Amino acid sequence: MPDLDRLQRLICSAIGGRHEPQLLALIEGGGLQPEARLQIYRNHAILTLTEALKATFSVVCRLVDERFFCYAAHEYIGETLPSRPCLAEYGESFPDFLASFPACRELVYLADVARLEWAINLALHAERAIPCDRSILCTCDRALTLHPSVQLVASQWPIERIWHANQPDGDNDAVIDLDAGGARLLVFWRSDRVVINGIEESAHAFLHAIVQGARLSAATIAGRRVAPAFNSTATLDFLFAEGLIVSVQ
Amino acid sequence: MILTAGIGLRSAHVAEMEARRPRVGFLEIHAENYMSGSPALAALNRLRCDYPISLHGVGLSLGSAGALDTRHLARFKSLADQLDPAFVSEHLSWCGTNGIYLNDLLPLPYTEESLDLFCSHVDQVQDGLGRQLLVENPATYLRFRHSTMDEAEFLRAVVERTGCGVLCDVNNLYVIAQNFGFDPIGYLDVLPASAVAEIHIAGHHCNAADGYPILIDDHGSPVSEPVWALYAEAIERFGRVPTLIEWDTRIPPLAVLLAEAQRADLLGYA
Repeated sequence: MPDLDRLQRLICSAIGGRHEPQLLALIEGGGLQPEARLQIYRNHAILTLTEALKATFSVVCRLVDERFFCYAAHEYIGETLPSRPCLAEYGESFPDFLASFPACRELVYLADVARLEWAINLALHAERAIPCDRSILCTCDRALTLHPSVQLVASQWPIERIWHANQPDGDNDAVIDLDAGGARLLVFWRSDRVVINGIEESAHAFLHAIVQGARLSAATIAGRRVAPAFNSTATLDFLFAEGLIVSVQ
Repeated sequence: MILTAGIGLRSAHVAEMEARRPRVGFLEIHAENYMSGSPALAALNRLRCDYPISLHGVGLSLGSAGALDTRHLARFKSLADQLDPAFVSEHLSWCGTNGIYLNDLLPLPYTEESLDLFCSHVDQVQDGLGRQLLVENPATYLRFRHSTMDEAEFLRAVVERTGCGVLCDVNNLYVIAQNFGFDPIGYLDVLPASAVAEIHIAGHHCNAADGYPILIDDHGSPVSEPVWALYAEAIERFGRVPTLIEWDTRIPPLAVLLAEAQRADLLGYA
């Protein structure tokens, strides 16, 4: 007789789709057979995790249609089960999965749209934090901590336009030129909603460096590598105005 | 003292609840849906001025063989401290092991090993929260040959050892009694009546896809007449315990939930 730990590993394995004869022998028969009883749990796992992915990646679902999305979700769930109890935190690696999923190969922008939706999900569920005032920033070279909701997304495809066109109130007939240029996006929480803000590539490089822990001088250099005329003042003004800086060290 | 039946707070109803503030005894939320700074938490904080809150966990995984997820328990405690709920509840089940969460309420074998482990986790949660926990009987679809006691006996033992309360889910009881072929009244009689502090009732559906009808607890339809009848038996034994109308899938208009809650109230007064 396996102990409880072994039994639970067997059940997880069986729900993940593997045949576990040792487990089947431990389940009471009578009426529905043990395998069919396990299938009820398998079905529930697939159904609820697919619904969770649909909720987070609604634009991806719309872009590929629901049946294909369920197929992709089924394959993803087979590879990656949740590691945390909160369903909103499930799906972090789904964009990477889509990027390497052969059936999606022709939709070159799909993984990046999924990355934008994951960034929106993180911004929506981020802890709220108290912003600090601009007066705290003296002339010294400091490191900044951004609001937990701040997410940076970059893509060579116009993913912001694709996302907007596929909202319930979006322009469903919009024609989007995939060669029209990429997107550098700052995603964050503003009082009652998630904001997606297009930013310059230089500002994106500056913010990326800030997020990595760089001091202002080093982050500014990162911005100037992209655009020699980059000046951090406008970006900092925007961050303070939106309450996106929560500490200065 | 909560005198009227409550409903599960669903996102589709939040705006109407805020605007109308209908008469309802309490609101129950799934803790795991509020463990972040989402707008849902802000709305809940506004509503809890007018309604007692029942905090219902689905992810503590009290029956997992390994250690409890202390990070999750800390988030649970933070939410409980913020909401100051009238009830805090979890399930007689487990939902994952070794870093995997299956988002389901999985069945335990009812053995001494499981009982020792489950009680130690209930103790840990009650000590950590500084509150009594209500433990809910789950809907299950399989049983283990090596169980040495039945579910009601197991639950009674958990209460005796830990001092926790019982959340008696009458729909779950009806579902497993039908699926496994036993008398649900006998189950109610084994439960320690004084420990039952909350009741759940909900809808289920019958799946006969494999040629053998089995009831599935999907919380997606009105409470069935047999469950109402079993509910009447439950309140005869446990008294007018605060009762929740659970509805999690195919969410109907708010008025439907309120009508179900009103029916529960009327039965309670009968």
